[in-house]
Amino acid sequence: MIILENILMALQSLKTNPLRSVLTLTGIAVGIGAVLYVVILGNITQQRINDRLESLGSNVLLIRPGYSHMRGVRTAQNVINLKWDEAKEIKTTSDVIIAAVPRYTGQGVAEFKDQNWSTRVTGTTPEYETVNNDHPIEGRFFSEDELNRRARVCLLGATVHEKLFGNHSPIGESIIINSKRFTVIGLLGAKGESWHNPDDVVFVPLTTAQERLYGVDYLSSILAQMRSADDYDESLFDIETILRRNHRLRSDDENDFRVRRQDLFLSAVQETNQEIANFIIIIALVSLIVGGIGIANVMLVTVTERTREIGLRRAIGAKKFHILTQFLVEAVILGIIGGILGTVGCMGFNYFFTGNGLSIPLNWVGYSFIICSGIGSIAGLYPAFQAANKNVIDALRYE
Amino acid sequence: MLIKMNNVFKTYVLGEVKVPALHAISLNLEDNEYVAIMGPSGSGKSTLMNIMGCLDTPTTGTYYLGRKDVSSLNDNQLSDIRNTKIGFVFQTFNLLPRSSALRNVELPLIYSGMPSLKRKQLAMDVLERVGLNDRMMHKSNELSGGERQRVAIARALVNKPSLILADEPTGNLDSKTGEEIIEIMQRLHEHGNTIILVTHEEYIAKQTKRIIRLRDGVIESDEKKI
Repeated sequence: MIILENILMALQSLKTNPLRSVLTLTGIAVGIGAVLYVVILGNITQQRINDRLESLGSNVLLIRPGYSHMRGVRTAQNVINLKWDEAKEIKTTSDVIIAAVPRYTGQGVAEFKDQNWSTRVTGTTPEYETVNNDHPIEGRFFSEDELNRRARVCLLGATVHEKLFGNHSPIGESIIINSKRFTVIGLLGAKGESWHNPDDVVFVPLTTAQERLYGVDYLSSILAQMRSADDYDESLFDIETILRRNHRLRSDDENDFRVRRQDLFLSAVQETNQEIANFIIIIALVSLIVGGIGIANVMLVTVTERTREIGLRRAIGAKKFHILTQFLVEAVILGIIGGILGTVGCMGFNYFFTGNGLSIPLNWVGYSFIICSGIGSIAGLYPAFQAANKNVIDALRYE
Repeated sequence: MLIKMNNVFKTYVLGEVKVPALHAISLNLEDNEYVAIMGPSGSGKSTLMNIMGCLDTPTTGTYYLGRKDVSSLNDNQLSDIRNTKIGFVFQTFNLLPRSSALRNVELPLIYSGMPSLKRKQLAMDVLERVGLNDRMMHKSNELSGGERQRVAIARALVNKPSLILADEPTGNLDSKTGEEIIEIMQRLHEHGNTIILVTHEEYIAKQTKRIIRLRDGVIESDEKKI
């Protein structure tokens, strides 16, 4: 009852000083707007990362050779020690790893008629298609049979396709890779820019790459797919056990291979974004504090201006509590209006300048409401106490 | 007996100096009395008014309002007494300037927690009694001085107080409107209200039934008309 009356009184008193009220609110509005904008930005980043995770699979581990050591000094050279048999062993031995895709990647020059393009050539197994969720948009992936036969077939990434064929379909055409003739059997969809261009690649059977193109018996990496992301610890244990035994490492030797989680790598990117967000949040906090001080200041002025009113209210029966809540409610309402202005401003800014179609998540509208009321009540506390504790007789005579 | 003051002292402490404002005041007031309190400035009449109005408490001595000893009440209890038992009329009206006359009169009832509809009805009734039925929705800063004081009187009446305290109610008015206000006071008295009037004007004091004169914190004279 009294609270409702207080709200009405507060709105009326704000109305009598509209310019002062609005100026007071700017700090809060800017602060809340910035906070909400950070939230929107965070959502955009999260969405992009989720998209990437979806294409990679969050439960994929990348096993790569370790760095080789020259008399105790680490060099950039990779150890040549990962074998296809090890990939097979990991898959068959471990309960939690459901697929292990071997890969060998080398440099190659692809030629078609008078066009040529220097690109990466990746040899792999047919499992790659499902584990990486990378299906040809045209044609097909190579088969187990083709893998066993070391068949000279290949799939083109979108960039290679464009450089060699332009808009024409490459299926069934014959191209030259490192002076060897290959038949194009599939075309992979564009995945877009990333840390490196994932579309600038030619896929061939692993046997073909190892034996016909590069004459090697080792791998560049193994992609191991876990049953679920929760199996990370067990998967890591299985991989380490198998590889350390195969590599005859003593118990005090370090691993001569590296295992990396794809999702953890992405979370590093996320961390960078988080740092930027934190920076904006700090600015927003400063703005909110300044806004709070603004409210406190204007409330102090209001309390002094309305000393007689306070005296009168007390004389006709208002208790200290009534005066306290009256001014507290006024400060909270100032804060909330600031929050509303900030929210609307943030939505407007996002709509007109970023145009990403994202809106502020509803729970954050709720949080900003709570933050603003909190700031308002903290800022209003001291002035309200001052108002409530005024001497009634002096207040009535105040000029 | 409405008011029973016994040996009331009030001493203000200003820094190191004790300033006596009231000195051994004993005073009785019956229901439906109409009293003027007079005295030069510094005589203690404001202090006496403040204590009678429960805005302040005596340093020593007892003050019974009705059957209640109010000299020992705490701040909240005093607020309640002011809210339900006392109506104030001030020299400077003390209305909320941007609120309507009706809203101003409602104010004491808001603090006593009366529901909105009931208190509006009550406030309108009282405004009618002081002759402001057509000015209820006017903001108080749109009203003339006499109208403002009538709003203030309505506000003092709305909680049906046992005691109306008017502190120089005509001090800020020209003599014609001042007389109108005094007429209203007279009428309220005739309707059974107890009124204490602080005034400088002899001719106003003469219209009351009892004149209490203060000087240097003591009662100099207390004359009743019969």
